[in-house]
Amino acid sequence: MKSLTLRASVALACALSLAACGGSSGNLLLGGRIDGLFKPGLVLQNKNGPLLPIAAGTTTFAFHELIGNDEEFEVKIATQPTGAKCTLADNKGKSGAFNITSIIITCATNTYDLGGTITGLDSGSLVLVNGSDRATVTAGAPGATIGFKMSQVADGAPYGVTVLTQPSGRTCSVENGVNTMGTAEIANIKVTCKPAAATPSGESV
Amino acid sequence: MTCNFTRPALALALALTLAACGGKATFPVSGTIEGLQYGGLVLSTNGMDLPIAANATSFTFPNTLSYGEVYNVTMKASPAHQTCLVGSFTSRITGVTYNGATDTAGRFGAINIGVGCTTNQVALGGKITGLTSAGLQLNNGSVPFIAPLAADASFTFPTVEFGKSYSITVLAQPLNETCSVSSNGTGVMGDLAPAGIEVTCVKKT
Repeated sequence: MKSLTLRASVALACALSLAACGGSSGNLLLGGRIDGLFKPGLVLQNKNGPLLPIAAGTTTFAFHELIGNDEEFEVKIATQPTGAKCTLADNKGKSGAFNITSIIITCATNTYDLGGTITGLDSGSLVLVNGSDRATVTAGAPGATIGFKMSQVADGAPYGVTVLTQPSGRTCSVENGVNTMGTAEIANIKVTCKPAAATPSGESV
Repeated sequence: MTCNFTRPALALALALTLAACGGKATFPVSGTIEGLQYGGLVLSTNGMDLPIAANATSFTFPNTLSYGEVYNVTMKASPAHQTCLVGSFTSRITGVTYNGATDTAGRFGAINIGVGCTTNQVALGGKITGLTSAGLQLNNGSVPFIAPLAADASFTFPTVEFGKSYSITVLAQPLNETCSVSSNGTGVMGDLAPAGIEVTCVKKT
């Protein structure tokens, strides 16, 4: 019952599209789903057909050109988005009688290292945080510059590195700790530790 | 349908057991625990209280039930920092569907009750004072938050899991003020929402 209506409407759609564009070889949509695309620049292509640019934030796609029954298709990524990488699944096959909406494109935004250097951390251990990400750095030799790395952060996401726990007897402050991740590693966060303000002599602690 | 087959099979198994040991078949009340990280959970059924250790993945009550006895496992005490549900659910990890909290001993070959625990999510937010211009952006690590454009407004970040750290920083300053976050803007989430986090904005001179 249902398929009759479907067929009728497909036939109608077909007739309309034929009428509209003055003839086409097909009547089937070729498309699918896009997950995790937050960056611009993605361009898709079916075989060597016309290019289909996809905007950031898009979750479904279909080529403007319809394909015919029993037609081979192979959807490719002509251009990867800037700052992200997409992969394809179920992108190759031969059409049957129905629209193809089963192609899956999965994109992941690039992530980059977030870190910097610590000076003056001569004793104890320092705990730095970037939101829920925590890094504990233990003291090095006196006068040493210690490198540190937090977990990677996605291109376009903010970061805010602060001190969660000060080392014993020292007070550390963070410079360049807050910004938005670009398209390269961040290594310019500067943590400077100084002896904590001494209690005036003669006063009991 | 399944029952029609299971019941005679169980009856047969029962008869065999009885014949073999000349005694009564007994059924341990046991189950599978997912996601438990903290201590304090106490399960209870048929007059038995069973304390569950942190990180436990299964439980079995000390006394077994005889065929036909009804059990009803309840949560007498919740674990610290977590919320648990006792009952039937399908594991996302193993795909196994666990039995419900209450039933009759002997209806299943073995009783495998589900206990699923998740760590509590706690609200994170605070108050902004002195803000009169647009552009303030706050972030909790790599979680952004665009501030509302009013003085004395409050702000709310997405919830943070108990035990995870947070670090609220100023990602972008507003046009006419310089804002700073109180020192309690960095911390480790407890059982209750941290009180008194303040973003104070002072007019640029």
